[in-house]
Amino acid sequence: MKQSFLLVLFLSLALGSGCQKQSDSSGGKKLTIALMPKSKGNAYFISCKAGADEAVKEMGADLIFDGPTDPDPAKQNEIVENWITLGVDVIAVACENKEGISTALKKARAKGIKVVTFDSDANSDARDFFVNQATPEGIAQTLMDEAARLTNEEGEFAIITASLTAANMNEWRKHIEARLREKYPKMKLVDTKPCDDLKDKAQTEATNLLSANPNLKLIMAICSPAVPGAAEAVKQAGKTGTVKVIGLGLPSENRKYVHEGVTQSVILWKTTDLGYLTIKVAADVTGGKLKSGDTTYHAGRLGDLEVKGDSIILGKPFIFNNENIDQFDF
Amino acid sequence: MTERSSLQTVSKYFRELSVAAVLVVLLLVLAVAAPAFFDAQPLFSRLARDTPTLVAACGMTLVILCRQIDISIGSQFAVCGVCAGALAAGKEPAFVVCVAPLLIGAALGAFNGALVAGLRLPSIVVTLATMVMAREGLRWTQQGVFINLPDGLQWFGLAQRSGQCALIVFALLLLAAMAWAMKNLSAGRFIYAAGSDAEAARLAGLRPRLTTFLVFVLMGALTGLAALMNLVQSPQVDPKSGTGIELKAIAAAVVGGVAVSGGRGRLWGVFAGVLLLACVNPALTYLHVEAYWEKAIQGAIILLAVVADGLRSRKAREAS
Amino acid sequence: MSSPLKHWQAGLFRHETILLAVLLAEWLYFDSVGRRFGTLDNTFDILRHSSEIGLLALVMTPIMLTGGIDLSVGSLLGLCAILFGKLWRDAHFSPALAGVCTLGIGAMAGGLNAALITRLRLPPLIVTLGTYSLFRGLAEAITHGVDTFTDFPPSFLALGQERRGGLPTQAWIFFAAAIGIWLLVHRTVFGRSFRAIGYAPEGAHYAGLPVERRLAMAYVLAGVVAALAAIIYTARLGQAKADAGTGYELFAITAVVLGGTSIFGGAGSVHGTLLGVATIAVLSNGLVHTRQPREVAGMLTGALLLFALASGEVSKWLAKFRAHGHAAHPTPPLSAPDSP
Repeated sequence: MKQSFLLVLFLSLALGSGCQKQSDSSGGKKLTIALMPKSKGNAYFISCKAGADEAVKEMGADLIFDGPTDPDPAKQNEIVENWITLGVDVIAVACENKEGISTALKKARAKGIKVVTFDSDANSDARDFFVNQATPEGIAQTLMDEAARLTNEEGEFAIITASLTAANMNEWRKHIEARLREKYPKMKLVDTKPCDDLKDKAQTEATNLLSANPNLKLIMAICSPAVPGAAEAVKQAGKTGTVKVIGLGLPSENRKYVHEGVTQSVILWKTTDLGYLTIKVAADVTGGKLKSGDTTYHAGRLGDLEVKGDSIILGKPFIFNNENIDQFDF
Repeated sequence: MTERSSLQTVSKYFRELSVAAVLVVLLLVLAVAAPAFFDAQPLFSRLARDTPTLVAACGMTLVILCRQIDISIGSQFAVCGVCAGALAAGKEPAFVVCVAPLLIGAALGAFNGALVAGLRLPSIVVTLATMVMAREGLRWTQQGVFINLPDGLQWFGLAQRSGQCALIVFALLLLAAMAWAMKNLSAGRFIYAAGSDAEAARLAGLRPRLTTFLVFVLMGALTGLAALMNLVQSPQVDPKSGTGIELKAIAAAVVGGVAVSGGRGRLWGVFAGVLLLACVNPALTYLHVEAYWEKAIQGAIILLAVVADGLRSRKAREAS
Repeated sequence: MSSPLKHWQAGLFRHETILLAVLLAEWLYFDSVGRRFGTLDNTFDILRHSSEIGLLALVMTPIMLTGGIDLSVGSLLGLCAILFGKLWRDAHFSPALAGVCTLGIGAMAGGLNAALITRLRLPPLIVTLGTYSLFRGLAEAITHGVDTFTDFPPSFLALGQERRGGLPTQAWIFFAAAIGIWLLVHRTVFGRSFRAIGYAPEGAHYAGLPVERRLAMAYVLAGVVAALAAIIYTARLGQAKADAGTGYELFAITAVVLGGTSIFGGAGSVHGTLLGVATIAVLSNGLVHTRQPREVAGMLTGALLLFALASGEVSKWLAKFRAHGHAAHPTPPLSAPDSP
C-alpha cells in the first residue's frame, strides 16, 4: 500500500542519514557564537543584540541569535539542545529558569562547548563565566536604596513585577525585601502585582494600587513595560510628584515621563555594552584568552574589567534621571 | 396577570439578572470593605480601560451566536494597534489613523470568514492558525519595540476625564445599538437563525454562510475599533497589547449567558459578564487578596456560570 | 454499490499520505540544507522535545474523535508538575510514589471535566476553557507563583535526560503510549465507539452505546496522560514550575487536526496524529538548524494547518464529485454541522 511504502522509505532515509553523519568536527574556521535572550520580541534584549552585533563584526565571527517566543519554560532548553547538535562553539544565554537551563548547559559543556551566561545566571557548575551587569543583590539594593531616598525612608510602596513565576524578578524581589527589612524599617511594601509583561495591564494595576492604598508613596516597577505603564497611571491619577515612580526600564520608553517629572529614576545599565561584553567574553573563553583564575579581563573598547571568581562585572547599575537621560538612545 | 408576566420576565432574563445580582453583591462587599473602589478617578479609568474588552465581547457574542468562535482577536488587536500607531508616528492625518485599524481588522476578519464560511473549515482551528500567524508575524517585524505616539492623539485630543467619558459613552451606545439591531433588524434575526439551525436557515433562504462571513468581518472591525480605543488612552503602543482579550471576551459572553451551541444569548447579559469579570482583578487589589488567586477565581466563575446553565437545562430536560 | 463510507475513508487515506509526503519533504530539505540535521543525536533531540506534547496530542485524539475538545491539558500539566514536586519535596514521597499519586490527581482532574461534560451535558469547549483557567490558577495559587521544585535525584532525572536501550528513556514511554492508544482507538470496540459517538451522538445512544461512560473515560484518560507528561517534563527540565506546559494544548490540537482528525468528530486516526506531531516537531527543529528565526516556525505551522484543513475539504469534494459521477445513490452531506 502506498502509505506503508512511504513509511518504510522515510524510516530508511532517517536511519540511513543517521548512520552516515556522526557528530564530528565543528567544521568551518569562523567562530560560531550562539546568543539566546530570555525571549525574542523584548526590546531590552534587542538592544543587547545591537552591542553583540558590534562585537561580532569586530571579530569576524558568526552569530546565531535565537530564543523562545512563547512563555514555555522548557523552550530555552530545547534551543540549547538543538545548538549542541548543530555544533556551535560557544553558547551565551540569559537564563529564564536557573535550575532548568542548567540541565541543558551541562550537557553542552560535556560536549566541549563553552558556556557563558549573561543578565541572569544559571547554576555555577553549568557555565564557564557569568557576565553580570550587576549582581541581583546589587540591582535590588540600588532599587531599594533609590526608593528610600525618594521617600525619605518612610512610607508605603508597591512593586509591579512581570509575572509571579519569572525567576530573576523573584530573585530581585527576595533581595529587595531583605534590604527593606534590614535597612528601612519605617517603609512598608503593601502589595506586589504581576503585569504579565504588558504595559496596559501595568497601567491598570497601578491605577488600582494608587486608589486602594491612599498612603502609597512610591511604585517600583521591576519589569520594563511596567515603568511607562505605572507612570501613565500616576499621571492620569493626577499624582505626579506625590507618588514617585522608579523602575528597571529602557530610557527610550521612559524619556517623556522622566522629563515630565512623573518618573524619577530609571535604573538600568548600558545594554549595548552588556551585549558587546557577552560576545567578547564568549569568544575569549573559547579561544583561551580568558581562563578561570584570571582577575582582570581586557574587554575591547570597554577597557579592563574586574573578574570576580567566575563573574565578570560590567559595572554598577546606572541610574537614568532627568539630567542624563537624553544622552542615551536605546 | 401582572404577577405572572413579571415572573415570566424574571424567568426569561434569569441569566442576565443573576449575573447582575452577583455583580451587585460584589459591589456591596466592596462598598463596605473598600469604599475607595468607587473613587471617581480610578473608577472612570477602569471603566475606560475596559471599553475595548466590551467592544470585543460584543463582536464575540455575534460570532458565538453563529455557532463559531474566534480566538485570533488578540493578535488582530495587536496588529491593528501597531499599524495605527505606526501611521500616527508617521504623522498621517487623524482620520487615517482612526479608520485604518477598523479596515485592517475587517480585512483580517474577512480572511477568517472566508475560510470558515466559504471553505467550511472549523472556526476554532482556522482562528488558531491565524492567531499564531499574525502574532508571530508581528513579533518578527516589530521585535517588541514600543511605538511613541505624537502628542494630541491621546484621548482624541480631549481632556482626560472628557476623553474617558467619551469612550465609555461611545461603548455603551455601540452596545445599545447592537442590542437593538439584534432584536429589531432582520440581520440580527439572521444571526440567531444561522446559529441555531444553519440548514433550516438555508432552506428558508436566509444565506447563513454569508451571514457567518459578515459576522467575522464585523468581529475584525470591532477588534480594530477596540485597538483604537485602547491606543488613545496612553502615549505609547505596546506591540503585546491585546494579549488575552479573546479569553476575556469569550468568558464574558459565556458568563453572560451566550450559548456556545449557538442561537441563544443577549448582549445585555454579555455586558453584565464584562462588568463582573472586570471587577475581579481590581477587587483583589482593593480587598488586599494575594494576586496569585486571580486566575483560579476567574476559572471558577466561568465554571460556575456554565454549571448553572447545565443544571437549569437538566431540570428542564427532566421536567419535560 | 459503492457505499459513502468508502469515499470518506478514501479521503482520509489520502490526507495521511499527503502528510507523510510533507514530512518526508521537510526531512529531505532540512537534511540537505542543515548541517547536522540528519544525525542520530538530532533525531533523539526531536524525540525528547516532542514527547510531552506528543502524549497530549495522542490523548486528545479520542476526545476529538467524539467531537469534543480539551483545552485544559496544558494547564493540567502545570498543575500536576508542581503537585508532583510538592509531594516529593514537602511530603517526602519517593519519586515513584509521588508519580503514582500525580497520575491519580490527573485522573481526578480529568474526572472533573468528564463530570461536567457528561452529567450536565455542557459543551466541552467551555468546560475545558474554565478548567484551563482553574488548573493554571490553582498551580499559581499553590506555589504563590514563586515556588519551584528542583534538585530531584539523578535516578529520576534519567527519565527525561538519559538514554536507555539506545533511545531516550521517555521515547519508550511515548511509543508505548502511542501503541496503546492506537490499539485502543482502532482495534477495540471501545475505541470504535468514540468515532461513532462523534459521527452521530444520538444514533450511538439509540444503538445502545453507553455514550456518557465512554466520553467520561476519554477525559479521565486525558487527565492521566497529562499527569504522565508532567512527570516526564519535570524530569527533562529538572525543575517543576507553575507555568509548565503553557500553550501545549494548542500545539496538541494543531497536531491532531493536521493529522486529519475532524474537529467535528467522527473521522480521524491516531497514526494521523503521530504524523502531525512529527511534522510540527521536525519543522520546528529543522528551522533552527537552517538558522531561521523562531517566528517563522510559528507562521509556517499556522499556514500548514490551514493548508491541511483546506486540502481535506477539497479531497472531500472530489470524493463527493466522484460519487455523483458514478451515478450511484446520492451521498449524504459530508460536512457535519458547524460547531466549535
